[in-house]
Amino acid sequence: MAQVATVKFLWRIVDLIVGGVFVYAGAIKALDPVQFAHDIDNYKILPWAIDVGLAFYLPWLEIFCGIALILRRLYLGGLSILAALISVFVIATVAAKVRGLDITCGCFGHASKNWNFSTHLGLDLVLFGLVMFLLFACGRNFTASQR
Amino acid sequence: MRQALILVALAFLPGIGQAIYFRDKVSWQLPVPASEMVTVVQARAWGENAIWIDARPDEEFARDHVPGAVSLNEDRWNELLPQFLAVWSPEKKIVVYCSSQSCNASREVAHRLRNQAQPPMQNVFVLEGGWEEWLKSRQ
Repeated sequence: MAQVATVKFLWRIVDLIVGGVFVYAGAIKALDPVQFAHDIDNYKILPWAIDVGLAFYLPWLEIFCGIALILRRLYLGGLSILAALISVFVIATVAAKVRGLDITCGCFGHASKNWNFSTHLGLDLVLFGLVMFLLFACGRNFTASQR
Repeated sequence: MRQALILVALAFLPGIGQAIYFRDKVSWQLPVPASEMVTVVQARAWGENAIWIDARPDEEFARDHVPGAVSLNEDRWNELLPQFLAVWSPEKKIVVYCSSQSCNASREVAHRLRNQAQPPMQNVFVLEGGWEEWLKSRQ
């Protein structure tokens, strides 16, 4: 019983960390959507008009998903969206690297400006791992039995 | 699935609000207005009337740069700005470049010169294709 409580506590900590990271990342980008539009444009995948639209929308999606994890409301939906967002971002980052683009990821605003490719990818994979871990835990009913 | 759709829908509300708030600050047509871009050929034709700004990191500037260019990047903005101001004059055109077409540093430096420098500067242009394009034109 005590072991289950400890596991639940640890899972909750991971919830808060992942949720907090996405609220922070979303808030930084929401403060400067024009810069974020340029960051998306650097990947040279989408037309500029879509880059702008995403720059206004994605930060808020990250914020709402982060809050969903922190408050444990719409939890599974938040986790699923975050898993999808990170997957797309990892693919886009690798594709940009393969095409030799000099990208600024912009994932954490100014703080991430000078991160190299390995740092971007490393952080994304860690976050992806944590989100998958929470999804798995949710599936096993460790953390989300009442959600 | 229903939860995800609710979150997707919720995020539209502040997103739309922000798009309306920023409607005058960003163009949906072009990342940088064409009037603020310049090609290598055009910029070279300006000759002595242009000041070239290298917005790349210090080590890349040290490796090589456009002859006569001044280094001004965001990492050391406050340190480097005085040396740029020493060569700047209002009638001169300013050409900012970074490493390639996909880099962002030149746009940021150009934006800061137009909006944050004292005095705010006119005639600031971003070099199309950046340093890569310059190298091609040199060959």
